[in-house]
Amino acid sequence: MIGLISYLVFFTTVASILAIAVMGLNLHWGFTGLFNGGVVASFGAGAYATLILGGTPQAGHLGGYGWPWPLALAGGLVAAGVLAWIVGVLTLRLRRDYLAIATFGVAVTFENVMRNAQGLAGGAQGVRGFERPLQDVIGTGLSYNVFFLAVTLAALILTYVVLERLVRSPFGRLLRAIREDEEAARALGKSPTRVRLTSFVFGSVVIGLAGGLYGTFYAFVSPQDVLPILTFQIWAMLIVGGAGNNRGAVAGTFLIWGAWTASGWALARFAPVEAQLYTGSVQFILIGLVIVGMLLWRPEGLFPERLAPASKTADDRGKLEPGSVT
Amino acid sequence: MNLKHTTAGLALAAGLSALGGAAAAQDCTTKIGAVLPTSVDWGRPIAETAQFAVDQVNAAGGAAGCQIEMVLRDTQVDPKVGVDAAKALVDLEGVKVLLGAVSSGVSMPILTSVTVPAGVMQMSCCSSSTAFTTLAEEGKDNDLWFRTFATTGVQSAMGAKVAQDQGYGSVAVLYKNDDWGQDMARLIAADLEAVGVEVTGTVAINDAQPSYRAEVTEALGGNPDALYLALYPVEGTSVVREWLSLGGTQNMIVANALKSDEFRENVGMQYLGNVLGTDTASPRSESADAFRAAYQERFGSEPNGPGLANSYDATMIALLAMEAAGPDADGAAIAAAVPRVTDPEGTPVPADTAGFEMAKGILAEGGTVLYQGATGNVRFDANGDVSAPAVIWAFTEDGVDEREYLSLDDVDAFIAGLK
Repeated sequence: MIGLISYLVFFTTVASILAIAVMGLNLHWGFTGLFNGGVVASFGAGAYATLILGGTPQAGHLGGYGWPWPLALAGGLVAAGVLAWIVGVLTLRLRRDYLAIATFGVAVTFENVMRNAQGLAGGAQGVRGFERPLQDVIGTGLSYNVFFLAVTLAALILTYVVLERLVRSPFGRLLRAIREDEEAARALGKSPTRVRLTSFVFGSVVIGLAGGLYGTFYAFVSPQDVLPILTFQIWAMLIVGGAGNNRGAVAGTFLIWGAWTASGWALARFAPVEAQLYTGSVQFILIGLVIVGMLLWRPEGLFPERLAPASKTADDRGKLEPGSVT
Repeated sequence: MNLKHTTAGLALAAGLSALGGAAAAQDCTTKIGAVLPTSVDWGRPIAETAQFAVDQVNAAGGAAGCQIEMVLRDTQVDPKVGVDAAKALVDLEGVKVLLGAVSSGVSMPILTSVTVPAGVMQMSCCSSSTAFTTLAEEGKDNDLWFRTFATTGVQSAMGAKVAQDQGYGSVAVLYKNDDWGQDMARLIAADLEAVGVEVTGTVAINDAQPSYRAEVTEALGGNPDALYLALYPVEGTSVVREWLSLGGTQNMIVANALKSDEFRENVGMQYLGNVLGTDTASPRSESADAFRAAYQERFGSEPNGPGLANSYDATMIALLAMEAAGPDADGAAIAAAVPRVTDPEGTPVPADTAGFEMAKGILAEGGTVLYQGATGNVRFDANGDVSAPAVIWAFTEDGVDEREYLSLDDVDAFIAGLK
């Protein structure tokens, strides 16, 4: 039984970390309509910067500044934010699929830089030698994983609350206005470019937070962690959960990551021995089918976006409508 | 007992109580875990070979009094997926021994966040990163980490020896752009310089590109006497085709990852006459022949492919150590028993069912054995690394042929001479 608990703690930690990243993407895509195809770049910037700033000195590459963990993590967020700002200034004039291609390129570039710049981040060997915070006090076993789960859940709840407040605020309405019709928003005197950039940077910082927690949890990050597959996984989670709904984003993460891991477990356990070797491939097919099925029969996701209650919207509109002033 | 409880509990939890309690005391089953990239073309044979070793051990009556069941999980070469699979094997299946992974980028987070905290022995066939040696030197692996992939140092030293023996004055290096390839490129460049061979360039080869013309042209620019390739078969084939079509030399030195039928057939034997390869060697014993013969009987082909012999040895040594540690041993005890089955002073045992039976008898009497595996007389140092005898080989019409054999002492002497 202890094994099951231990595994569930571990699973929940990883799923929660991914859920934070999915909420970051949700701010981009779900609320602002930014087709971000480079989620891993922000995720990787957060993870790499956290480990480089907070790790022990390593021969041959930058790092080992030994910053206290909260500071190192903050450094990770800053790194993700700065990267997003640069990328955003350069690419946010692009729309939809063009933006997706550009950001995807940024993510691939990021992975290649990390793979080749051995002096910066250890090259293909990655960054290791990170001491997980408070590990010497709590120990390395289940108790530590429970502690880290608590930290992760706190971060998840904080992210959720902040994002929910944000999207319910006037700024949130502005995001949706730009998503639906940029010209109309501009006509109302808003600056879509600036708002898009703000949303892009803020969402990327949230994704960077997920990356920082991920790097901390594994005490290791390498270019293999920032391959395009991660972008695909995070998108799948958001689409299945329901873009434009943070609760959906979290639910979609747990569902997809649960299906991803449980299908591997179930196939390893119940598939006949001769088929064992092919379970990896079968798993890919199953996951693909789930996503295709969702897109065919429930494209709005499990938890579709819920717009603010009609009465409240009516009130707001009542104040603004020119007709009511006269 | 513990194991069975976990299994039973799990089965209940999953609502599958029918599975619980099925195992009687007489024919018990011990699970070991394997996390390997079975969804990747070259990963599947590695897993097959591990299962092959398990089958041989089961034919000898299993290890530590029980039949062995290898629970295989796919890593998808994704660290998240691999770590999760390892965690599930350790927590849900209760394995004390974990085989894998292949990529160092997957093995490393498994080691730091799963096996070391849980006290499970981890034995990788193929992870080559020098970061593991550093980690072990820092004492962070709790002596639970082993790998049967001889350190890249042996390969690169032998590559330099070939260049020297062939009288090549200059060599260009093309390497797979991952942790293994980067290590190889760094080491081979240093070793070539040490034997007085000029390195005209080292060029990284990224996976899955449609063309490598730019990289090949860059390597050709230095006009080298020979080419050194630290590549895998798929990229190796594309690179060599472009290299030859652009008029590059047919003098090539290749690392063991290209010792593959796929590469030989796809490039064509007529271009590979001047290729010399290096590998860690099969020992001069019957066990290597036994392995080859048994492998051929089972799979209908020679064990040519990256990591196959290493995977076989990793599995065999892990199971021998389980046998030596006795029933209900934990991961640390099994890891501590590894020296008892790789003892240079011990009785040599071949790598097959008969050898395992023989080892069982000797270990039961408190003796030690020397496992003579598919990659040689495997011997781990304090960091869980192996060194091994080496062989220099060439391609032939129907496989590979050995050209020169260097004993462990020869290898060590040559490496010492480089320093």
